[in-house]
Amino acid sequence: MDSLSRYLRIWLASARYSLVRATMFRGDLFIWASVELLWISVNVIMVAVIYSHTRSVAGWSMYEMLLLVGTSMLIQRFLMGFFWSGIFEMGRNVRSGLFDFVLAQPGDPLFMASTRKLELDGLLNAVVAAALVVYSVRKLGLHPGAGAIALYACMIACGVVIHYSALVIAMSLSFWITSSQGVEGSYFTLMEFSRLPREAFGRLTSILFVWVLPVVVVSNAPAREILHGFQPWWALGLLAATGAWLGLAVAVFRSGLRRYTSASS
Amino acid sequence: MTKYGQAFLVGLQSNLVYRWNFAVRSLFWFCHLLVVFILWGAAYAGNPSIGGYSFSQTLTYFVVIFILQFFVGAFNEDYQISEDIRNGLINQFLLKPINYFAYRMSVFAAARVVSGAFGILALLVALPFVRGYLDLPHEGWRLALGIPAMGLTALIQFSLAYCFGMLAFWFLEIQGFVILSMAVETLLGGQIVPLDLLPPAAFNVVRFLPFFYQAYFPAAILTGRQGLDFALQGLAIQAFWAFVLVCLAEAVWRRGLRHHTAAGG
Repeated sequence: MDSLSRYLRIWLASARYSLVRATMFRGDLFIWASVELLWISVNVIMVAVIYSHTRSVAGWSMYEMLLLVGTSMLIQRFLMGFFWSGIFEMGRNVRSGLFDFVLAQPGDPLFMASTRKLELDGLLNAVVAAALVVYSVRKLGLHPGAGAIALYACMIACGVVIHYSALVIAMSLSFWITSSQGVEGSYFTLMEFSRLPREAFGRLTSILFVWVLPVVVVSNAPAREILHGFQPWWALGLLAATGAWLGLAVAVFRSGLRRYTSASS
Repeated sequence: MTKYGQAFLVGLQSNLVYRWNFAVRSLFWFCHLLVVFILWGAAYAGNPSIGGYSFSQTLTYFVVIFILQFFVGAFNEDYQISEDIRNGLINQFLLKPINYFAYRMSVFAAARVVSGAFGILALLVALPFVRGYLDLPHEGWRLALGIPAMGLTALIQFSLAYCFGMLAFWFLEIQGFVILSMAVETLLGGQIVPLDLLPPAAFNVVRFLPFFYQAYFPAAILTGRQGLDFALQGLAIQAFWAFVLVCLAEAVWRRGLRHHTAAGG
């Protein structure tokens, strides 16, 4: 319990520092918040244009699809807001030896490396993504109860953990290879699959994007929970994937850390 | 050989050093194509035509759009220019009888030769999977007008990137502006949805913007989405925008230089 409150204090200190930094560069915050908002709008416009020519995509109506897109965006924005900068800098710091700075801090290296910075623009746009989810739910005439909303929130948290784990694994590669270039692009490319309904995937693509890489399950499971109520198999699948991916991420990170030989590596 | 010819050759060599970056980009291209295939395949299920186009025609459009980007897209020229300004490397060009726009254009052309080769390679790999879906028109005028349209598209893309790079004269960090413009260009350039699927009123506004000529226009000519009259009109508008943007690039360069301080020995 003591350890938990200590980590909470460390995280709050990092969050306070990030907020002060964000308010110092207000123009920058405004630009990046606009960037994220614009990308959400691009996705919404894409859905609107496609549905102006068809009534259903893989059995999903327009507002169901917007709910899926909003859910996927929500997970992505939370990841960007809470972890992106820290994890992304990890690769660079391992190469330059600046990772020593993280190791010298009073806490678990993975925690210290991934929670160093809070990106306010990502969190501001999580509100926009949440608004898209609420708008879609209203348009669908759904009235989820407190339990369903709590379960949806838990599933979103699982999704963030899975994305976080995948990113940590990708960035941990910098302990072995000299360049982790392209990781950012590969992450955003994979995210594109998470905005597609499960039913749109064929047999072959399902194996890769539904079963091997849980990009589809991460967004489809919470969206389905709001649309069709609690579905035990989807919830269990998501929970199992969360545990497996987090375990794998921690193992890969620790294994990489053992190889790290400081600034001279 | 002229000095710009030499710059082209040096650009060719330095871009070949980064061949893995282009290879990674080709891999992302496959993933984007797969997303397009899954999404539009689901949208077309039960719909023989969307906006008057078959699934094959729409898939062909996206294949051509993606390949065009390898040949005429400005990927990171804005970033390279901003780095020249920020690091003071631009000072050497001020002391030599060399036009910075022409120099950068030569390097850009070299980069597109290398990335274009990777684009063709990616297409050859994808061909066995997409060949059955490719539906290209056979009228000769399409190639005759499509090639100059591609050239003007390259000029527009480069000039816009050049102008954004020049922002480094005024701002320390320009990545926010670049990604902001990328979102607009991606949507209004027709990389997310074919622009002819927009409502007619929106299409008639968008066709007068420079973004329309950054990807959609040459792709629409080559894939048969627009007729001869539209192509001729469009080519005139495209030439106008190319001229305006080249003039703007020159004006921004001159104004930026007034702001610039060349420090150091």
